[in-house]
Amino acid sequence: MVEADKSVKDRLRGITGRALKATVKALIFYAIYLAISTFLTPVSGVIPGLQQIIETFVMVYIFLVVVGEILSGTIFQQLFNVARALFVVVYLLFSLKGGTVSTTFQNVKLTLDLSLFLMAASLLSLLGLAKSMFQAVNFLSEKAEPSRI
Amino acid sequence: MRIPIRMIGIVTTFFWIFLIAFFVSAVYSVKDLQFDFGEPQISVTSDKEILFSLPITIVNKGYYNIGAFNLTTKVFDENGFAIAHHSTFVPVIERGVKKTLSHNMTIDADGLLQSEQEYLFNDTELTINQMVGMKLAEAIPVQASTNFSMPWGAPLYNFTVGEIKCELYNATHVKATVVISFENHAFFDLTGRIQMYMYNGGNELIGEGQKAIEAPQNSRYESSMELYVSITEKPENGYMEIYFLTSLFSYGPLVIPYG
Repeated sequence: MVEADKSVKDRLRGITGRALKATVKALIFYAIYLAISTFLTPVSGVIPGLQQIIETFVMVYIFLVVVGEILSGTIFQQLFNVARALFVVVYLLFSLKGGTVSTTFQNVKLTLDLSLFLMAASLLSLLGLAKSMFQAVNFLSEKAEPSRI
Repeated sequence: MRIPIRMIGIVTTFFWIFLIAFFVSAVYSVKDLQFDFGEPQISVTSDKEILFSLPITIVNKGYYNIGAFNLTTKVFDENGFAIAHHSTFVPVIERGVKKTLSHNMTIDADGLLQSEQEYLFNDTELTINQMVGMKLAEAIPVQASTNFSMPWGAPLYNFTVGEIKCELYNATHVKATVVISFENHAFFDLTGRIQMYMYNGGNELIGEGQKAIEAPQNSRYESSMELYVSITEKPENGYMEIYFLTSLFSYGPLVIPYG
């Protein structure tokens, strides 16, 4: 009876810890987003939709971080990490339309060539994806090892 | 395997921070970039060329150098054919530096007006395409382009040759008087002379005359020309060949029938 109580307490403590960790991570990401958006304010006025693109990205990314963190210690965490890395690659490619962003502002056509940035970001995202896959493989192998012994 | 995974994580995070910081600061520093386009000036050179000059001052107070600054101007006629094209290129504008440059574009007025008499006699609209390109932090290419139209005023707008009035000059010659008129809609003053050759129906030259002209911009010119024709060659029908020899262009012959 005492052991069962202890186990429930440990679980509760674990869930609370993970939830706290998830909250802190979400807050950190949101703070980074706020800091970056302040710098991007002059450009946001010129490029319509930029603010929305960034906001959607941040929302989905924070959601995946929070869910991944809450599910830490399970295979689902690894799945969410992979999903997050994939999301970054796909979202960058789609939202930046292959690296060239164009907008028309008062008879002036403005074109921003972000292909170099996109290439670097895609490579880093792929590195993140590889890391998440390694983590998943490592997690599964660690789970499998004790049963073999 | 945990250590290599952690190392990948650390390296990825470091590069992400570096990439985002670089990108955000490069874009943010655009607000510290100042472009001052001066008053465009149009003048005529000694080589009979129209010189379009645009002074530009660039002040780079941003965090990074600006690379490959390029200002291109293209002038098109109303049918979309290119008349003139010029680019001004600055390889690097260092941060904290104020650079003044002049974007000079020349149009060969003599060649243009000789080949396209539309510009001599009719007002039209020219389309100007202006494009500014640069590399933010020498890495992120940005380009802004715009189109606008500019009216072209014809220097010999509504050029008209009046009726020929003949009167006896002496026993051998007749004085033929022709009134010519036009409006100078161009942005330059027209100075030079007009030469007129009169031919009869058999393509024989029967008289000639010339007149100095001086028509300031946006003014109407009207004057009469006198030609002395042999009394035996009284002008009844034929044609006139008119040549315009001005400080900016030469054009001719403009053939106008009479009679």
